[in-house]
Amino acid sequence: MLAFKVENLNLWYEDNHALIDVSMDVPRNQVTALIGPSGCGKSTLLRCFNRMNDLIPKTKITGKILMKGDVEIRDPSVDVVKLRTDVGMVFQSPNPFPMSIFDNVAYGLRCQGIKDKKQLSATVERSLRQAALWDEVKDSLQRNALKLSGGQQQRLCIARAIALEPSVLLMDEPTSALDPIATAKIEDLMQSLKQMYTIVIVTHSMSQAARISDQTAFFLLGELIEVGPTADIFQVPKDKRTEDYISGKFG
Amino acid sequence: MDKEKKTIQARLDSFHSRKLWQDKIMKKIFQGSAILAALMIFFISYFVISRGIQPFLSSYGDEQQSLIAFISGDRWRPDISPPVFGVGFIIINTLLTSLGAAVLSFPISVLTALFIAKIAPPKVRAVLTTIVELLAAIPSIVYGVFAAGTITGLVKDVGNIFGINTYGGNSMFAVIILLAIMIFPTITSLSVVAISAVDRSLELGSIALGASQMETNFKVVLTSAKSGIFAGLALGLGRAFGEATAVSMVAGNRMVGPTWNPFDITRTLTSTILSGMHETSPGLDYDMRFSVGIILLLVILATNFMIQVIKRKVGGVTHE
Repeated sequence: MLAFKVENLNLWYEDNHALIDVSMDVPRNQVTALIGPSGCGKSTLLRCFNRMNDLIPKTKITGKILMKGDVEIRDPSVDVVKLRTDVGMVFQSPNPFPMSIFDNVAYGLRCQGIKDKKQLSATVERSLRQAALWDEVKDSLQRNALKLSGGQQQRLCIARAIALEPSVLLMDEPTSALDPIATAKIEDLMQSLKQMYTIVIVTHSMSQAARISDQTAFFLLGELIEVGPTADIFQVPKDKRTEDYISGKFG
Repeated sequence: MDKEKKTIQARLDSFHSRKLWQDKIMKKIFQGSAILAALMIFFISYFVISRGIQPFLSSYGDEQQSLIAFISGDRWRPDISPPVFGVGFIIINTLLTSLGAAVLSFPISVLTALFIAKIAPPKVRAVLTTIVELLAAIPSIVYGVFAAGTITGLVKDVGNIFGINTYGGNSMFAVIILLAIMIFPTITSLSVVAISAVDRSLELGSIALGASQMETNFKVVLTSAKSGIFAGLALGLGRAFGEATAVSMVAGNRMVGPTWNPFDITRTLTSTILSGMHETSPGLDYDMRFSVGIILLLVILATNFMIQVIKRKVGGVTHE
């Protein structure tokens, strides 16, 4: 089963051709890592999956991203709000809202018009448990989320996203602002989360990609150079440029 | 060779000690400026308070005033003999007019700020920002003549519709509208700064959770900008409480009160201090103005405290 099927995707920011003819599959309930040097288009592709690129003016896209088999996510019949509740996103630096921990996790649900207190509490607890944060915050749900540590804030942002029960979780360098211990916690978390969610992660760290992902895609200057099982990409890369990148010759 | 090294070292040492010395001097200059600013507040308060409490002390002689009668009084009659100075109703009038102006102005200001900072296209934003800045720069006397010439006429017409006879439009209602207009640019410009400073990543986070742009603006952007917006409200209210010239031109200076009817004339703390200031001679009537000044300072202090409390209550976070 595929979460996404990308077909001949091209994207321009004004005159800048940021994604060039990208075609790849994103399998369900696996971790797909997008790697490559800065400006290679990996984050741009990630933002295509929940249409965050819509917010950037003068962006032009051609090609297709099919979801759940046959739904083109840019089709006029697709409700972008629904899409974003089904495709959650975690950002590079933790960005909790300046509200209580509870309100942060309940935010997405409340935007969906859910006001029932029982339902909200149940979902908040489930999400915080899944994000491995419940034990640390269960006694202080009314505390300001900004008082949490960086790693806790990032797990809160994960809880906030999975509260909406998405099918996919997009992560844009989720550990680049965190220390090694907090990073390890998030990486462990991803292993348990992939049982329930498809994860697409952009990372600058090749060792992270090797540790956590099932499939890796290597991008260079907007082109998808190579995609395959992570073990293959790191041990027997087919393309010379992939080999040079993962062996640290450039990047 | 060794000697040369030593001279270089000596030069470096003197260079570094000069830099340290300069740092120390600059630190003292900054400290001095801060102390000077703090002293100004202290001197002003001291001068107003020490003079304002005189009429209530036994040393004031025959004309000594009762503090309780002053604070709870419902009449201000410096023109009769013996004169009566009751400030209680004036406090209520002042709170009514200033808070009324804030209630009218605050929502409009915040929505305008949101529009300027987040919604308007760049060109419209530039024009609106200039307009708000210009509004803030208009001297209060100009607002005063505008109010006396236009707002009073409007209030008079509205009063006529309801069959209420106004004092030529001079009224509490006119004061509220005037103050609402005057504090609008203050609240708006501070709110614009606060809203523009909200981290873009918070907005993106909200949108990525399936919130619409409007939900994002109201639930995330405004809550994040809360501190700055309330600072704007505090400054705006400060201006409303403190505005004397323009208010005096349309208040009508009623001598008893409080004024509950918006079409009736009113009297505020500032208009009380100002009215007849030039005609009066040193003595009780003059000193009482300082007493009213103390009351005004206390009212502003209490209001700022109240705003801090409200600020903590709104926006969902219980512990800052």
